[in-house]
Amino acid sequence: MNRSIAPDIKTPDSIHLIPSQKITLDNGLQVYVINAGEEDIVKVDFVFEAGKWYEPKNLLADFVNRMMREGVKGKTALEVADIFEFYGCNLESNVSFNNAGFQIYSLTKHLPKVLPLLMEIFTEASFPEHEFETILNNRRQKHTERLAKNDYVANRNFLSAMWGQTHPYGRVTEFADFENVNSDMLRDYYGRYYNASNCFAIISGRLNDELLKSINDIFGAKAWAGTAAPADVTHVAAPNAERRLHTEKKDAVQTTIMIGNATINKYHPDFDKLIVMNTLFGGYFGSRLMANIREEKGYTYGIYSGISSYQHGGILEISAEVGKEVSEATIAEVAKEINIMRTELVDDEELDTVKNYMIGKLMRSVDGPMKYSDVLKGQILYGRDPQYLNQYLKTIETTTAGEIRELAVRYLDFDNMYKVTVG
Amino acid sequence: MIHFNEVVLANGLRILVHEDPATPLAAVNILYKVGARDEDPNKTGFAHLFEHFMFEGSVNIPEFDSPLQFASGENNAFTSNDITNYYDILPATNLETAFWLESDRMLSLDFNLESLETQKKVVCEEFKEHYINQPYGDVWHKLSALAYKVHPYQWPTIGKELSHVENATMEDAKAFFFKYYRPRNAVMVVAGGVKTTEVERLAKKWFSDIPSGELALHNLPKEPVQTEERILELHEDVPLNAIYKAYKMCDRMHADYQASDFIRDMLSTGESSRLYNELVKEKKIFSSVAAYLSETIDDGMFIVEGKLNPGVKMEEADKAIVDSCLKLADSVTDNELQKVKNKTEAYLTFSDTNVLNRAMNLAWYDMLGDPNGINREIDKYLAVTNGQIKTVAQQIFDKNRCSTVRYFAKNK
Repeated sequence: MNRSIAPDIKTPDSIHLIPSQKITLDNGLQVYVINAGEEDIVKVDFVFEAGKWYEPKNLLADFVNRMMREGVKGKTALEVADIFEFYGCNLESNVSFNNAGFQIYSLTKHLPKVLPLLMEIFTEASFPEHEFETILNNRRQKHTERLAKNDYVANRNFLSAMWGQTHPYGRVTEFADFENVNSDMLRDYYGRYYNASNCFAIISGRLNDELLKSINDIFGAKAWAGTAAPADVTHVAAPNAERRLHTEKKDAVQTTIMIGNATINKYHPDFDKLIVMNTLFGGYFGSRLMANIREEKGYTYGIYSGISSYQHGGILEISAEVGKEVSEATIAEVAKEINIMRTELVDDEELDTVKNYMIGKLMRSVDGPMKYSDVLKGQILYGRDPQYLNQYLKTIETTTAGEIRELAVRYLDFDNMYKVTVG
Repeated sequence: MIHFNEVVLANGLRILVHEDPATPLAAVNILYKVGARDEDPNKTGFAHLFEHFMFEGSVNIPEFDSPLQFASGENNAFTSNDITNYYDILPATNLETAFWLESDRMLSLDFNLESLETQKKVVCEEFKEHYINQPYGDVWHKLSALAYKVHPYQWPTIGKELSHVENATMEDAKAFFFKYYRPRNAVMVVAGGVKTTEVERLAKKWFSDIPSGELALHNLPKEPVQTEERILELHEDVPLNAIYKAYKMCDRMHADYQASDFIRDMLSTGESSRLYNELVKEKKIFSSVAAYLSETIDDGMFIVEGKLNPGVKMEEADKAIVDSCLKLADSVTDNELQKVKNKTEAYLTFSDTNVLNRAMNLAWYDMLGDPNGINREIDKYLAVTNGQIKTVAQQIFDKNRCSTVRYFAKNK
């Protein structure tokens, strides 16, 4: 046996997708159902078009989402929490640039006992003043804590430079923002955006007919129909002309570096191949940036580049925490690697490794109903069919070295990137 | 219920196989029974540095990561006080690639000096990123040194200080490898879309020629019972005043472990938990509060931490935590006990859904003495009584077994 020879490998040429079905409730709410799995567990995920994009005041979307669980008609915050937790259910809520969500993770047997309460959160939240004061205080304290973290400050400076304070993607939190929201504004926003016409749901796990019927009985109520978020809300970005921004922290032993710019999102035809390009450049452990800046030079514990897609634009960002004395050297190496991406063709071995890695990652991302539900959500939000994932796999497989170089020329422009440092 | 088969090679390597035909993936997890507790007190952080070194090429294969990525796989590892755990996850059709890579680095490493030097730098940057350049980043160093005077849990896995990492040598690396990274000190789990017969064939093919090695004994000093309250006050550039209280608690296999974990859950998990409602919402002493266990094999720590609201006195905050914890012993209702049982049932069921988790958990329970423990854990939790909660809470929340670190924000 020769240990230096690798065993043969086989790269999967298609992805097995768990079948999903779409049902429409009596009030028009669309529910995607992924009925699969070995364990008697279920996840219910509601996605509302109620993110930062729509808020008239900074922090409002976040506070509404957080306050909805702080008491409903006839029940205090503690009583609400106690019911979910008594049945071992985990209730999560979150807000992103465009969406706001609620997820319940539950044993299948206990779910029917908590679903009506979730509906009360959606329709009868009471926004008690004393709970709002506590949440405001805790968030203000959290903000103080975050401002002491260099990576948080860097991210703040980076986003606000790229989009500007006028745009929800670039608007950062200031202490004054906490004074400018009140519970009347929360109620107004809640009434406008949390309704059946402004959301969809995904239910994944081991389900039964009775449970599916109860979904319609509870969430299909016509009184909750409401109206969808207005499609004509627009914001204009106001990017900073200065592209090199530094915040001095005299006692820091490391410098946080963020480099990048606004880029395309999933609606653009180049997007999927751009992900292949980015993976090779800095998107996985074997990437160019990692190989050079961590594995060869030892400047950092980790350096990554990522591309995030949002409804109204994308963000390309390269980030690392590096030794203070090598921060300029790191930026120079990033520029050098970008230049190589733009001028040289990647060889087959490296490109095949990236492709195979990405196919494996795709397989892992759809392994099991609950993981798959997250992927499916990402498809639904961009109006894609679930089968799109097999098309995505073909796109990965057929990307050429020439296309990678062309995409680098188009989307990796070091001079045009913001370079933000804190340290 | 997680089923598994066991294969043992002549060199002592044990392989647990968990077949799950529902997934097209395979997880390969190798747990080496060595952690920061096994380190020389003057060479701390070494087990973790060595974990990095394990990816720097083995005797016949120059790189670990890229062949695995080429086989559509991904891998990572972590080091704790007790163990060093490596895992690969890849399409089951490419299972042999993981066997090829893992067996070669168990056989022997490349021991390349340049790689060691680079990884020392990488680990020093990791040390700075997580433990120096962060507010409260030094808390684990301070708290463990305060709580443990004899047992090696007195230093965190990253190491006591940067110089210990900087001074590591190739001789240290070779000695460490041939002492701890032998088949008899490892347990391997293969899980997912695999068959036991095939795993056995591959295991014999790739691992059977690796010398068995000696069984490495841990021989760790037992931490004497703490008999006095310990308090360390720090004035640092942190954003908020904060308090961390570490109470001594039982070891992982002690009959009181599950009751202790329930107490943690009642105090701090979820928005219906006690500390959040009593200290954040009602008394408004803290803006955040949490309780957790150090989850070590030997005698552990039960930690409660909080960030103080402006204007609250440190003594008042400290006393509020103590009062809430002591109050628990006499006020747990049957309903509250049932709640944490339901939560634990759900938690354990959810943690079993992912094939990689199952592989890691099987290896961990094997380390604890019996892989079947994974299937018996829930019964241990369900058997906990209200009386036991009371006794265990009284034992844990003894001020003479508590070590407290208090942060005072400078210029605030």
